[in-house]
Amino acid sequence: MIARYALLALLPIVAVAALSQRRRLAAIIGMGLFSFLLAVVYLLLHAPDVALTEATIGAALITAIYVLAIRRTGRLAVVADEAPGLLAREGDRIVGLEYEILDRFARHLGLDLSVQIVPHRDVAESVRCGEADIGGGGLVPSGGEGALATRQHLETALFTIGGRGTEAGAESPTVRYDGCFADLDPQALYTGETGVTLDLARFLAVRRSETPDESVLRHPHRLGYAFLVSGRRRALHSELDAYLEGLRDSGELDRLIRRFLA
Amino acid sequence: MSRGSRLFHLLVIVSTGCVVLLVLLAFHSETPETAPYGTYVDRSVEETGATNRVAGVYLNYRLYDSLLEVLVFFVAVLGVRHYLGTRERAEIPTLAESEVVRTSAALLFPLALLLGVYLATLGQISPGGGFGAGAVAASGVLLASIALGIDAIERRLRRTTIERIERGALLVFLLLTLLPLPLGRPAMSDLLPKGSPGAVLSGGAIPLYNTLIALKVLAGSWLILRSFVRHRGEI
Amino acid sequence: MAFSAGIVLLGIGLVAIAIRRDLVIKLLALGLANAGSILCLVAIGDRPEARVPICAVCRDAVYADPLPQALVLSAIVINFAILALALVFVMRLVEHYHSTDSRRIEGLVQRDLREGGRS
Repeated sequence: MIARYALLALLPIVAVAALSQRRRLAAIIGMGLFSFLLAVVYLLLHAPDVALTEATIGAALITAIYVLAIRRTGRLAVVADEAPGLLAREGDRIVGLEYEILDRFARHLGLDLSVQIVPHRDVAESVRCGEADIGGGGLVPSGGEGALATRQHLETALFTIGGRGTEAGAESPTVRYDGCFADLDPQALYTGETGVTLDLARFLAVRRSETPDESVLRHPHRLGYAFLVSGRRRALHSELDAYLEGLRDSGELDRLIRRFLA
Repeated sequence: MSRGSRLFHLLVIVSTGCVVLLVLLAFHSETPETAPYGTYVDRSVEETGATNRVAGVYLNYRLYDSLLEVLVFFVAVLGVRHYLGTRERAEIPTLAESEVVRTSAALLFPLALLLGVYLATLGQISPGGGFGAGAVAASGVLLASIALGIDAIERRLRRTTIERIERGALLVFLLLTLLPLPLGRPAMSDLLPKGSPGAVLSGGAIPLYNTLIALKVLAGSWLILRSFVRHRGEI
Repeated sequence: MAFSAGIVLLGIGLVAIAIRRDLVIKLLALGLANAGSILCLVAIGDRPEARVPICAVCRDAVYADPLPQALVLSAIVINFAILALALVFVMRLVEHYHSTDSRRIEGLVQRDLREGGRS
């Protein structure tokens, strides 16, 4: 008798505990446990058919489909803006140094790589709120919470095109380019009112040989391209760092740089 | 959490708590109890021939309810397969399960199937029934597929075979229950001998219906689970 | 007593659906509300000194009501399939909007509707 009351009182407690979990997996397992307790209660209520069915369906099948639904089946989600030489569309495929690195990394982890091309300003945002795992595409990441930057894999510099050249005194210019690379119009850049700050790869792509160099200002700071990893995937961040380290040590990184950015 | 949403949470909890308390107080003195219908308890064993009165209810007195439930199940399976179907992968990376899991799965899988058969065929004299049997068998197949790899399972248990089993069982069930209707008779409950209560061969057509429902539920559940296993998820 | 537990579980499930923002947890809470109502149904068939309604030799004993049990038996299995379908829709929603937060998805849907009407 006491066992019956204790069991009945335990049911809401387990339910509340399961549903107030932060992690989804914990909630699912909690509800599986709840189903099992419920099956025992059905036995006490003289309903063995119901108890058997509830135990099987609630504790086994329903838990299974939830777990199958929330597993992240082997995908590495990357958001990037196009950057020639680093990550650029070529017909159907994507080629470039950063794409190659990420592709090898994904295969090293046994995951599928999925790259989404988004405007430059959305890359950091997507990574920060966890929608994507990794951000790339010629990023010069500035700090910010929610996202971790890996070690720099390639040096770069910033160039400001157009404008009135008033950026000289800036400490480290914020990258003023935030659109899609595909939308950059070289002509409009040089004749535009406001200056657009580009990194080296993009600058080299839009540079025209016949324009005077006075309208281009090169910033003296040494920066580097790096990947941005979502703050929720710290393990992924360390893995990527380690992988880049390995690439650098074995000289493979230099080979890739020479191959893509000759 | 903003103040607005905190207020909302409070409002929800308080109002639901009030309603729950009201209902509890309303039933405080007398917890509701049904008076079991005379037929279902007193005359069930004689009329249906099955000792399990629950099976007598949902496979004899209320057979058409079960038919419609099975139809709902069928439609739900169709829906799951349709909306998940476009995201299947050709090959799933094999899960590196431990030896323990693989060995125990190899042991438990036939036991689960056997338990399913037992529950379905003896549902008229012991707890169980077609629905539970199908669920148990499906969970056994799921265990095997998780431990041994879904491709290994699909080689033996092809999708087309499972589909045929599902549709076949549903079709036979439909025919048996709906064909007598135009002839002015209810669904025949004595396709098999009614036998003496407590015997294995008793309960009229109840074991037959149980088996059909078990097959349908097994096939349908496995199709659902299979779609989930093959799905490329993002959550 | 079990009936009261069922009502309480139903209340908890409904509150959780309204309060938690994660879609998967909302579904779990819906399953909980289901379980609560089923418990209510089975509990009203139970009576003190009842026997399991599977017995041949005992003729004049008091039995638990087999009707709610029969109704609930198929309901549990069908609920599984319906829940799977609901989960499929949640998965498609998450894949489209890349988030499991219901509020965020709501905002994105509103934005899509606005932009869809404009373009």
